[in-house]
Order: sequence, then C-alpha cells, then structure tokens
Amino acid sequence: MVVGEIAIETDVVVIGGGPGGYAAAIRLGQLGQSVVLVEKEVLGGVCLNRGCIPSKALIHAAGEYHKLAGLGKLGIRLPDGSAAFHMPDWQAWKESVVAQLSQGVEQLCQANGVTVVKGSATFLSADRIGVETGGDFETYKFRQAIIATGSRPFAPKALAPDHERILDSTDLLNLQELPKSLAIIGGGYIGMELGMALAKLGTSVTVVEAAPGILPQTAPHLTQEVRKQAKKLGISVKTATKVEEISRSGDQVTLAVLSEPHGREELTVDKALVTIGRVPNTGDIGLGQAGVVIDEKGYIPVNAECRTNQPHIFAIGDVTPGPALAHRASKQGIVAAEVIAGLPSSVDSPYVPYVIFTDPPIAGVGLTPEEAKEQGYRVRTASFPYRANGKALVIDERDGFAEVVVEEDTHLLVGMHVVGADAPNLIGEGALALELAARVEDLALTIHPHPTLSEVWLEAAEAALGHAIHIVNKK
Amino acid sequence: MVEFKLPDVGEGMHEGEILKVLVRPGEAVVQDQPVIEVQTDKVSAELSAPATGVVQEIRIAEGDTVEVGTVLLVIDTGAASGEGTEAKPTVTPVSAPEKQSTATVPARQGASRSLATPYVRQLAREMKIDIEQVSGTGPAGRVTEEDLRQFASAGQKRALQEVSATAFAAAPVNEPAEPARPVTPAAVSKTAEQEKPVQKQAASQASALPVGVGDHLIERLPLKGIRKKISEHMVKSVTVIPHVTSVDELEMDQLQALRERLKPHAEKKQLKLTFLPFFIKALVIALKEYPVMNASIDDATNEILLKRFYHIGIATDTPDGLIVPVIRDADRKSIFQLAAEIKQLAELARQGKLTLEQITGGTFTISNVGPIGGLQATPIINHPEVAILALHKMEKRWVVREEEGVIRQMMNISLSFDHRLIDGVTAVRFTNRIKELLEDPNLLFAEMV
Repeated sequence: MVVGEIAIETDVVVIGGGPGGYAAAIRLGQLGQSVVLVEKEVLGGVCLNRGCIPSKALIHAAGEYHKLAGLGKLGIRLPDGSAAFHMPDWQAWKESVVAQLSQGVEQLCQANGVTVVKGSATFLSADRIGVETGGDFETYKFRQAIIATGSRPFAPKALAPDHERILDSTDLLNLQELPKSLAIIGGGYIGMELGMALAKLGTSVTVVEAAPGILPQTAPHLTQEVRKQAKKLGISVKTATKVEEISRSGDQVTLAVLSEPHGREELTVDKALVTIGRVPNTGDIGLGQAGVVIDEKGYIPVNAECRTNQPHIFAIGDVTPGPALAHRASKQGIVAAEVIAGLPSSVDSPYVPYVIFTDPPIAGVGLTPEEAKEQGYRVRTASFPYRANGKALVIDERDGFAEVVVEEDTHLLVGMHVVGADAPNLIGEGALALELAARVEDLALTIHPHPTLSEVWLEAAEAALGHAIHIVNKK
Repeated sequence: MVEFKLPDVGEGMHEGEILKVLVRPGEAVVQDQPVIEVQTDKVSAELSAPATGVVQEIRIAEGDTVEVGTVLLVIDTGAASGEGTEAKPTVTPVSAPEKQSTATVPARQGASRSLATPYVRQLAREMKIDIEQVSGTGPAGRVTEEDLRQFASAGQKRALQEVSATAFAAAPVNEPAEPARPVTPAAVSKTAEQEKPVQKQAASQASALPVGVGDHLIERLPLKGIRKKISEHMVKSVTVIPHVTSVDELEMDQLQALRERLKPHAEKKQLKLTFLPFFIKALVIALKEYPVMNASIDDATNEILLKRFYHIGIATDTPDGLIVPVIRDADRKSIFQLAAEIKQLAELARQGKLTLEQITGGTFTISNVGPIGGLQATPIINHPEVAILALHKMEKRWVVREEEGVIRQMMNISLSFDHRLIDGVTAVRFTNRIKELLEDPNLLFAEMV
C-alpha cells in the first residue's frame, strides 16, 4: 500500500461475481448506481464454473449415455451395439458451455455499466476495500458494499483433498479420465448426484455416509426411488458408516471405514471424493476491519433486507446462514441492490425451492408432511405416481411420484414435492402455486396440457380432493 | 418466548407513540439491539430488545399510541437453538440457520403469515403497509390489492379524525413560547420527512380520496409525534387553567450595559451571554418572595403544592417543535453557570437528545421569543405550573423620564397566570419585582443568593 493512496470512489462495491454478486451488480447498474464488481477468478462463481453448470453438464451427459442401453426396447439399435464415453470431449463441451455463460455475464455487466475488476478484495475499513490485482493494489471508497464471496468445499484435516487422488467436487469435474473406482465420502446431494453420474459412465462407485440414510436432509419417503436406482446402478451404499482414516497407497486410495454391523473395513479405490459440506468464505476478506460480525460458524447474519450489523454493508448468498443455493443468492442479490437504491424490497418468502439432480431427481418447495405436522398443521397428503402418467410411460420414466401437502381446514397448499423425471422443471409450478397462496382446488381446476409430466400435479391435487381420474381414489 | 412490553421509561409516563419499528417478524435480534423508537412525553427513546432471539410477532404498528405494559413484540428466544417448535409459530425466518448448508427444505411459515401473492406483498411494501395487519377478503383470507387500498384509506380516515379533534389546539397563536411562530422551512421539511410513509400511502390511493379542489392543493398530514403531544398538552392547559395575561415593559439600558461589560469575561469561558440568565436570576428572587407563583394545584386532592425548589423551564424552538428543557435548582447557579446550561440544553433539544429527566419537573417556565419578535402575547401555562413568563423583542422606544421624552432600550414581558390561585394584584406585584431587579441590576446582585 502506498502512503497517500488515491481511492477510486464508487456508490457500491460488490465483492464476488457469483450468481448472487453479479445479479446484484447488474440490478444496481439498472438502478443507476455506480458499481465496482470484484471477482478474483471468473465471473459466474461456483455455480457457473464449478458447481451447478458443470455438474449438471456431467449429469446430463451421463444420463444420455445411460439411456442408450435402454433404447433397444424402443426399437433403436446402435450400429455396432455399443457406445463409448470420451471424457476429454465432454470436458471441451462443458468448457464451451461455461465460457458462453461466463461471457454472457461479462457482457451483461458491461451493458449495465458495471465495472468488473479482477482481483482479491479485502476490507480496509468500513468504507474502503483494497483490491490486489496481480502485483497492483487499488483502493476503492464505497458508500455501500455487498459481500458475496460464497463458500468452498469443507473437509476436515484428516480428509483433506490432495487434488490428485483425494478430490473435492471441483477436482472431480475437471478430470480428464474417469476413475475405474471411486469412493464418495458424504451421501448428500452433491455426492449422490456425482456418484450416480459416474456410475452411469462406468465407474464403480461406493458411497460412505455417516447418517442412517443417503440424502439425509431430504424426507426419507422422497429418497426411496433414488436408493432403488442407486442399487440398480450398482452403487454400493454404506450408510451409518464413518470414515476412520484415508491414506494413499501408490496409485490408489485406501479408506478405513467403521460401521455398527460390519465393524472396521478397508476399501481401496482409484480415487476418493470428499463432499461433506461447505464453509463460507468469510475468513480472509478483512471483515473485522469493516466491523462486520460473523457467527460461530463463520456465516454473516443478515436481516430481510440483507443488511449486516453494519447497515451500509450487505451480505448475500452462501456467506449468509441458510441453504447454499444459487437461486437464493440471486434473490438476495437483487433485494440488496434494490434496498441500496432505496426501493422497498425484502427477502420475505419462505418458499425457496430445492432441486436434487439424482436419478430420479427430487425437487420440492414448502413443507413435507412431517414438517407440517411438526409445525402444528393438520394436513392431508396425496400423491400421484409417474407410472399412471402417459407421458412418463412414453419417455420410459415410470419411477417417481408427485405429492401435495394440503392444510385440512383451508385446503391451502403448504408443500409440493416431486420425485421423478424432470422434477427440477416441474417444481416451478409448485413454487408459483405456494407463492400465490393457492388452494389445492386452484391446482385441480387449472387445465394442464396433455400429454405432459405436469399432469402429475393436476392428478395429485385431484387425489387430495378424492377424485383423481387416473388412479383409484382412497375411500 | 419473551413478551416485550412498553416499559415505563420515565416518571409520569403512561403511554407512548410508536414512531418506528426497526425490526420485522422473523428477524434475528440480539439483546440490547434497538428495536423500537417510541415517543414519550416529548422525548423520543430507542427501546432495546430484552433478549436475543428471533422476532416472532410484532403487535403494534408505527403511529400507534400504546400504554405502558402493552406487549410490543414477542421474541422467540428458543429460535436460535432450534427450540420453541410450538404449534404454528408465527414466522420462520428465511435466513434461519439451516441444519446443513446444502439443499434443505425451508420451512413454510405458520398460518398467521398472511396470505398474499408476491405482487400484493410488494405493493404493501411500497405503500409502507405491514401486510400482517391487513385482514384479507380474498379466497381463504387472501389479502388482495383492494384490501390494501381499503386499509390505507381507513388509516387516512383515522388520521383525519385525530386532526379534527385537536384542530383548535393546533391553530395559530396557541403556543406559550411562540405566539404566531412561523412554521420554519426546517420544521416543514422535517415533518415531511417524518410523514413520508403516510404521504406515499395517500398518494397511492389518490383516486380514492380527493386531496384538493381544482388547483388548490390541500396537503393532509397526520397530527402525530411531538406535535401531537404539544397539542394535547395545550388543550389540557387551556381547558383546566383559567388564564389571565398581564403585560409590562422593562427598561433594559442598565442591564444591557452590564451585559456588555461581562461579555468579554463570558467569552473567556467560551460562553455566549444573553439576557436570559439575568431573567432567570430575577425570576427566582421574585419566586421566593411570591411562593404562590412557584406552585401547582393538585386537582385530585384540591391542594396547593408550594415548591421550595426552583426548576426553570426554558421553552426552546427545535426542528421537531416546542421543547421545554428544565434548568434545575436555578437559584443555586451563577449567571455564567446558567448561561452554560442554557447553551447545552438548547443544543441537546435541537438534536433531539434530551433525556426525560431534562424536560420534566419544572416549576416555572420562561418563554423567550424576543429574538424572533413580537410585542406581546397570551402565553399558555405549562400545566401543572401556575404561571409562565414570555419575553419579547427589545427595541429602542420613546419613553418619558422626568418630564422629558428620551430613547431607551425597552422590552415587553407577558405573564400568564392561573387565576384560580393567583390574583391580579399578586401577579402585577410579582412582575413589578422582576422589573425592579432588572432595571437596576445592582439590586439584582444585592439580592442574589
């Protein structure tokens, strides 16, 4: 730092160019604020570069590849009877997708007058940040700031990735070659999504989960189809099992695992993937110098306007307590931007949908039946199976169901969940219905297009009212 | 679960007006974090959260006047630790700590979160309406756009009723300190600032309520905050106390000469020496000689309370309205000490930082409108005191001294007194004594304790 440095003045600095940060910066630009967006790597953040987009690219490729095996019964024959998956080609394709999106974000920032600065930002005080840009150090004086530095994979020391044999999810998505065998430590959604994708591509996958079941954050009745499918894919799932030790042995990795029925076992694989959670990036951005407090887990508490304890400094996305979801970050980013511009805006909705890209995928919004009961609701639930839906049979996706959770007295929808093909797209209807405070009748009386998977909602709603057409209604 | 009730923040306070609610349902609060701004008897105070937790419910709205002991908000102290899962909690914070930072199912709020579409919620925010306060007429009790407009319009009607009930008190020339006090631009802009929400509300339903006739715009502002307090206080004073005002004039030449001589000494102490400290000293001497002027009447017991202490209220013009900070034990303070205290209290008053203690307990009030102008007034007594003295403009006038017309610095004073307790003769003698002490300040110093 130079004595007497000249700080560049701006209305707002946004630290972090992920889906929260860039959405905030663009919205601020739209609202006429001068904005500096600081990103130390590539615009788009984890979501675009290392998370949602690359992983869904892999899951999609794996799904398409896996389908080939079942095409025979649809009358499709492959000329030589087999197909192959070429990882480097996939990498090139993925990179092109990521690059296109990242450039798109850059162009949008430019078009909205956002100054994008590549570098690492640190708060110097409550109204200044310093940005290190490969040797140079610039300071910016801001009136308001948005912290959107996101999160990174968490691994305890004993399971620290070496990024060669012991991988985190970023490493896995950058592999040029598929491992023959892979142990996944952590059967949460990242572990199961990637595990199922790799299993479809031919890797022998073992999942080790300390909880009694996979996807421990999701209601068990919703994960049942995934457990079945995992078995069909030949994934070995070890639940209620802890990893005691992990060590490299030549080209391989050996895990010592411990469980109640089996005691201590050893497991030797080509590579191991550690996906046991994420931690917020709040440690090295000088929050103390800005006077911004964090909680004991490192998250920055915020109010509904996304303000931190420092009213002119906002925090959004994975650095704030709550699910680490890109769509939550984007919503918060837009709200923070609008609040800064003086608009009445607030993150006031409890309806944050979740989507899990397993096979079959799971998605939902609102309460599960158990949560509703825990919260004192009298609810009735009804579900409609995919196998009774024409489109599901036509696309050979008969596993899964849609479920509605309805408050008994008012018939208001309190939760909608779907397991099955295209669930992540289908939950859009659920999010809208809950936001509009729809009654189950509203869903049942809405004409749904035929033949589509969306009819599962229509039928589930009708089933809740006791008059579904395509299943036998419970008396 | 902690119920936060309006505490008695000072002597004699039995109600307060909610100026601002600084938190929202679902928001996490830490102990001692300011949560509500309340307007009590001329003091606005920030009330802090009594406990750490999540705001479960807010039972009052901005603008409400509530009594001490009323539950303002409910804090769920168990929320942070995951306890407190009682039936249908009012609110589940969006950003409540989740079990894990991966895809979890966020909880829907309990049934008492009002039902409304996202657009209607946004509209409510724009209209500055707490949607939880609006009862919905839509299907299953959904709050509709029309419900919001109805709510806003009802709020307007309430505000109008308040204005008409106190209109005569708010009429011009009705304040003890500032007869015909012009509304200063600062006061207007401050008021406009404060009332922004309501104006917006009014604007948003302009079609429902006529706001003017032709080109003649009528701006409707609710009577609230300090202004409302003043109006209530004035009504009480003039209703209870039979006011009589007597006017006299003082020759100020000697006092002015003395003040000029003392000025450099005051400046050394970084003090601005005005006439007011001299008036306070003269007043206190006179009050000791006429104890009935420093009394009050206990209406409940029909007793006269003679106070043997001299706490002098100084009516002060502030951007928020008239505030009367009190100089305690004025009889035991020197002229310079009084000057210093006046300066300090006036500054605090203008910044709105006076404590309740600094504005209560007065025994007699002086209203100094001299710097602004005016010849005489009928100041209204600061109930339960029994008299008030207003000082007017000092100016050179022709007066007759020893059969000759001469020019002298003259100042009028107006004394309003409670005719239940004080006779005209007493009042005039009292002002005569003050006049005597100030016209010949040597006498003032001779009498000073």
